[in-house]
Parts: sequence; C-alpha cells; structure tokens
Amino acid sequence: MREFFHRRLERSAIGFVLAIIGVSAIGGFVEIAPLFTINETVEKAPDMRVYTPLELAGRNIYIREGCYACHSQMIRTLRDEVERYGPYSLAVESKYDHPMLWGSKRTGPDIARLGGKYSDAWHVAHLINPRDVVPQSVMPKYGWLMRNELKVDDLGLHLAAQRKVGVPYTDAMIANATADAFGQASPDGPYAGGVSERYGEATNVRAFDGEPGRLTEMDAVVAYLQVLGRLTDAAHSQSAAAGK
Amino acid sequence: MIATLTVEERQRAIAVSAFLALCGVIMAIAGRDDLLGTHGVIVLLFGLGGIGLVLSKYFEPEPPQERLSHYYDDPTKVGIVLSLGWAVVGMFFGVWVAALLAWPDLTFDAAWASFGRLRPVHTSGVIFGFGGNALIATSFHVLQRTSRARLPDQFSPWFVLLGYNLFCVLAASGYLMGLTQSKEYAEPEWYADIWLVVVWVVYFLIYIRTLQRRKEPHIYVANWYYMAFILVVAVLHIVNNLAVPVSFGHAKSYSLFSGVQDAMTQWWYGHNAVAFFLTAGFLGMLYYYLPKRAGRPIFSYRLSIISFWGITFMYMWAGSHHLHYTALPQWVQTLGMTFSVVLLVPSWASAGNALATLNGAWDKVRDDATLRFMMVAAVFYGLSTFEGSFMAIRAVNSLSHYTDWTVGHVHAGALGWVAMITFGSLYALVPWMWKVERMYSPKLIEVHFWLALAGTIIYVFAMWNSGIIQGLMWRTYNDSGTLAYSFIDSLVAMHPYYISRTIGGLLFLIGAIVAAYNVWMTIRMARSQAAGTAEADRPVLHGAGAALQPGE
Amino acid sequence: MEFDYHSLVGFAKSWGLFYLIALAIGVLIYALWPSNRARFDRAKKSILDKDDRPGD
Repeated sequence: MREFFHRRLERSAIGFVLAIIGVSAIGGFVEIAPLFTINETVEKAPDMRVYTPLELAGRNIYIREGCYACHSQMIRTLRDEVERYGPYSLAVESKYDHPMLWGSKRTGPDIARLGGKYSDAWHVAHLINPRDVVPQSVMPKYGWLMRNELKVDDLGLHLAAQRKVGVPYTDAMIANATADAFGQASPDGPYAGGVSERYGEATNVRAFDGEPGRLTEMDAVVAYLQVLGRLTDAAHSQSAAAGK
Repeated sequence: MIATLTVEERQRAIAVSAFLALCGVIMAIAGRDDLLGTHGVIVLLFGLGGIGLVLSKYFEPEPPQERLSHYYDDPTKVGIVLSLGWAVVGMFFGVWVAALLAWPDLTFDAAWASFGRLRPVHTSGVIFGFGGNALIATSFHVLQRTSRARLPDQFSPWFVLLGYNLFCVLAASGYLMGLTQSKEYAEPEWYADIWLVVVWVVYFLIYIRTLQRRKEPHIYVANWYYMAFILVVAVLHIVNNLAVPVSFGHAKSYSLFSGVQDAMTQWWYGHNAVAFFLTAGFLGMLYYYLPKRAGRPIFSYRLSIISFWGITFMYMWAGSHHLHYTALPQWVQTLGMTFSVVLLVPSWASAGNALATLNGAWDKVRDDATLRFMMVAAVFYGLSTFEGSFMAIRAVNSLSHYTDWTVGHVHAGALGWVAMITFGSLYALVPWMWKVERMYSPKLIEVHFWLALAGTIIYVFAMWNSGIIQGLMWRTYNDSGTLAYSFIDSLVAMHPYYISRTIGGLLFLIGAIVAAYNVWMTIRMARSQAAGTAEADRPVLHGAGAALQPGE
Repeated sequence: MEFDYHSLVGFAKSWGLFYLIALAIGVLIYALWPSNRARFDRAKKSILDKDDRPGD
C-alpha cells in the first residue's frame, strides 16, 4: 500500500513536468514552425549575393563590439522610417544573416541601408573618433580597429561553417577565402581579380582604410558597412514598382 | 561547507572537478590560437580550485547521520552571498554604461571598456548573476520547506550553484574579450551554452527527486513556478542557441537560423526569458516569502493556479510583439499582439492575489521594510505587465519600439519587480538561514528601501520621457511635409534624461551595496553568536562528539 | 496533406484558438472542482507551519 502511494506521487510529479512542457511548448511551436516554410512565399531576389570573406569578417567584428545594441538593421513599414532611412527591409535581405542583426534599440540611427551613403574616409574618421565628424555623437571610439591586423588565416573555416548552416558558398570561395580577403582591400594587388570573379562585378574592391599595404580590422568593418542594404536590389526595385 | 559532505560525496566532487579541469586543458590546447584558449584556462582554474577546496577538508570526519533530520541549507547560504556579489557588480556596470551615453569618453580608449562590450556584462550580470543565483538559492530553500523533504544529496546542489556561476564568469569575461553570439540575453558562445545545459539538467533532477520524496500530498504552488522556470528556460535555451562552431578550436559559432526565422526564434526566446526567468521564477519567490513574512496564507490559492496556467500558456505566443512592422509576416505579429494583451489577465490576477494577501496586514507593511519591498514589487509587477500589454499593441509599438521607452519598461520590471521581490525575500531569508533573530540593521533595510524606490522612479520617469520624445521627434513632420528633425537632434534632446537615468541607477546601486553590507554584518553577527554559545555550551562535549562518530 | 506555408498558418490560426479555450476550461474545472478545496486550503496554510525540519 505504502509502495503504491509512493509511486502515485512520483507519477504526479512527472505528469506535472510533462504538462508544463506541453502547455508551454505547443504555443511557440505552432507560431514558429510555419516560418520555416516561409521561403515559398518570400520575395524573390535572384541577384542576392553572399558576403565576401572580408565583409563577413567585418560583420563578426560588428558583432564582437556589440554594435547591434545601438543600431538596428530593420526599417519598418512606416512612412517616417522609409523617408528617413530608405525602402523598408524585406525578409529576403537577411536570409544569409546567421544570426540576424535586426536590433532592438536605436541609440544611433538604423543602418540597414548605410552602404554607399558615406565615403570610406568618412567611416574611417567616424570610427576612430565619432565626435570629429558628428560633434554631438555619443558613439564610442573604435581606434583599435585601425591598429589591429585582421585575422584571415581561418576565414575558409568560417565560410565552411556558414555553408553548413545554409549559406551557398562554393568550394572555390572557401578555398580562396584568405586570398579574397586580401584582394578585396588591395585593388592593385594580385588577388583583386578573383574577388569580382567569385562575388560579382558590383563588389566593392578598395583600400577601405586608406592603406592598401595593410589589412586591418578597419578594412573589414568598413567593407561590411559599405555593403549594408547592397546585397540585393529587391527592396529598391519593389519600392520603385510601387511608386509607379 | 566541505565537512558536511560525506566521504563519497567528497570523492565525487574531486572527480567532477578533475573532469572539469581536463575539459579546461582540452579547450586551452584546442583553442590556443583563439580566445577559446583563454576560457580553457579559466575552466581549468575553476576545476583546480574545486579540487583544492575539497582536498583541504578531505580528511575531516564524516558528518553525523543526524544531519538527515535537518534541511540542507549550505548551498542556499552561498547562493545568497553570490547573488548579492553579482548584484553589486552587475549594477555597477549598469551605471557605467548609463554614464557612457551621457559622457561617451569614459572608455579610456580600451576595447573591453566600450559600450557594446560592457552592456551585456550589465544585462547578464544582473539577470543571470544576481537574479539567477537568487532563484537557485531560494528555490532550494522553498523546495525543501514546501516538500518537507531534505535535498536528495549534498553534492549536486553545489554542482548546480558553482557550475552556474562558472557559466556566469565565462559569459561576463567573454563579453569583455569580444565573445558574443549577439543574441540578446543569450550572448554566451556554444561551449558555455552546452555547459549550462549540463548544469540545468542536474538542477531539474534535484527538483524532481526532492518532489518525489515529498511528505506533503500537494505540490505547493511556488514550486510550480520554479518548475516552469527550470523547464521552459531549458527548452528556450537549447532551441535559441543551436549553432555550428567554426571549429572545435574556435569560440565563434554561427547560428543555425537566419533572417526572419532567427528573429522570431530570438524574440520567442527573449520574451520568454522575461516570462520564465524574470517572472515565473520570481513569482515562485513571491508565493512563498510574501505569505510567510506577512504571516497570512495567500489570498486565493485557486487564483494562483489559474494564473499559473495562464502565464505558462500565453507567454509563449507573445514574443512576436518585438517585431511589429518588420519583415515578419503580419499574422504572426497579430497573434503576438493578441496574446500579449490577454496576458494582462493572469498577470493582474497574480499581482492582485499578492496585494489581497496583505489586506488586513497593512500595519505590518508600514512597519516592516522587508514586507514593503515585497508589496512594492507586486505593485510594480502589476504596473509593468500593464505597460507591457499596452506596448504590444501595434499602434503604440510603432512609437515606442527602438526607443528608450522599451528600456524604461524593462527597468520598471527589473528594478521595481524582480530586484524588489528578491531583496525582500533575501531580507526575510537571511535571518532564517543564519539562525538569528533579525537582520543586523533594520534601519539599513529602511534606507535601502527608499534608495531603491527613488532610484527606480527616477530611472523609469527619465526613460519614459526620453523614449516618448524620441519616438515623437522621429515621426514629426514640418509644414512642408518633410521630417522636422534629424536623428542627431533627437539624440541631443536625450542628454538630460541620460544624466538623470544615471543618477537613478546610481541610487539603486548604492541600495544594493547597503544590502550587501547588511547581509555581511548579519553573517558576522551570527558567527560571533554561534561562537559564544558553542564555547559556553559544550566545551567538553565537542571532543567527545567527534570521537563518537565512527560508531554511528 | 502537404505542409506548405498556408496550411500551417491556417492550422495555427484555427487550432490555436480551440486549444486556448480547451485549456482554459480544463484549468478552471481543476481549480474550482469542489473536492479540491480541502487540498488547496491545506496547501496554502501548510507553509506557515513553524516547524523547520523535514517530515517523517
């Protein structure tokens, strides 16, 4: 009898655990599961390209420094946002973003369409001391980006890991990742040609930090900032079509 | 502490510490060219520290069998101290990052001291360090009392508590070095995440093993909330942190999800971290310590059950309100908004239940700052859940999102609800744990109460003002139909509010320091009292008792 | 049946609601069931017991 009673108690504790998991998990599952089939309905963007190794390295530095805590990369479908920042963000634009950097707070402005808005020199000066360029800014200084050499020897591994989670990097891209990182930041060097060949003619190939001889973290970050919103024209062409 | 472990448990502790140290060595070697190596060294030191700690007391006599007729509270005591330590550290970083927005050059041009790296130290420090340790410490206490059963063994609670703190140390040190997944409130990298899963499984097993051995037929409702906290946080943590490391020698990993799926998963996690870490767990505290301190049973037990299932069910749907007007499909946004609004019902049921419990004991609330902490916590819980439901409405959210209003809302909940209920519970718990009549200084509790309340109100009002001004400036048009303000105009307008929020945060930090001092002095007071009675009571028996033990 | 986006969305919208209602009814029945009253009353008073030792 005692034994039976004890077992009943055990069962009720475990039943309780299952009830909590059941009641809570189903809600999230029902809501999230359909999103994994969203690619069927999402906008088409055949011109969408992947990040170059240099841009990906820059993106990782952007993450490392916690830039996403103050800058969003998601323009909402509101009139004032579209007028301030540009065409609203489409789902397809961040489909290669592992993880997404939509952000949740704008202590600084949204930068989803920052690419091409300012010169490389402006970005370099701004990152070294934001208050040299925008006197009222409260952004931290990032002087060490200019001092630190960029770590490039393992970029192939990074691209391979990205491929594992679904980004379509080719074998050639992975094999040439390190060379492409150098090439993109030294337009007159021997590796520059391969970058446009693998990532498209529209790819920015420049000495982003102003010093073609050195590959710094500044090169990577500026390369990344200059490609924001430029991986596809889908958002611009959609808003142009809507304008007509 | 070590002397209370049996010899077998001491051996187990050494074995586990040695295994941990080995993991540290492997990480240090595999990640020698990477920051992973630095973390390997930290893990190694932690493991060696564990071995050293146990070895220093290894040859002490076994604890007497008589221990089994008491509750096992040593991990709770250490958890309380750790929690207050993290509170001071986490809030200090909070004041620092707040000051950085008013005076951006307080970084000494050092990478580790820039805003983006300090901010997660603040958020993880207060949520996981302060809140998490307080939850673990109080859950062990509540679990044993409400089950009338001792913890199942004496090693696994230490594993959970210290293992969890290793996770917190890896998290905070990682951010300063630049290691982060960038997922808010889930920043630690893959190896720290795996370690937390191991710790969490043991935590769950302690809970279920104690519940199975309980002497009460019914599981008291506080345990329901603690259980929901443990279980759902496990599910959230595992799903949101799914990632592929660059290699086993790299700290860096890439999230399995991307774009819109990642955003939804992240805010499903993010919002339910609020729900099940910062709400369910602390409601567990509320449902035990508030009736206990007031000396009155909870107003309606039935209401507590109904609101429990309401919260457990509905929160999971609400995360998408973080993504209104984004590229997330609109039906998901609408679903999230609807559930967020309905959530007000169980939330207010809980807050009302707590306040109704105090009805008839208002004289105690007036005289006892500890109980007043809990009362104010319930009020702030009610206020911030109302605000949360309000802000989840799409039209409101279009104004509030991306602004300081969100920050203000979070802090109304974090300072007003989470921290207040924690401080109230700890002030009630500390004298019980160290077996003294009362806290060292009731006056200092009073001082802390007013510092905390003033700090919270200043902070929240500053952020309401700045958030709404910001939101309005961004969408204001002038007569010619163009935007009236540049972004930098709105930033300049924030300056006075950023200063006042720093002051509010500073008051709250000073309050936490006062609490830490008060608890520390209470422990010292308990020690000197215990030493006094021990000498007076049993100068001879002490030796005799030790000699008797092997025969027991 | 195919698990495409629209059918999953339809499922989420309709069955989610039924699930909510069914769960709410279940919880209300459990909480208000007359014979559970004694259990709950005992539970809510049990924590105020002064004895700070494990039960036998």
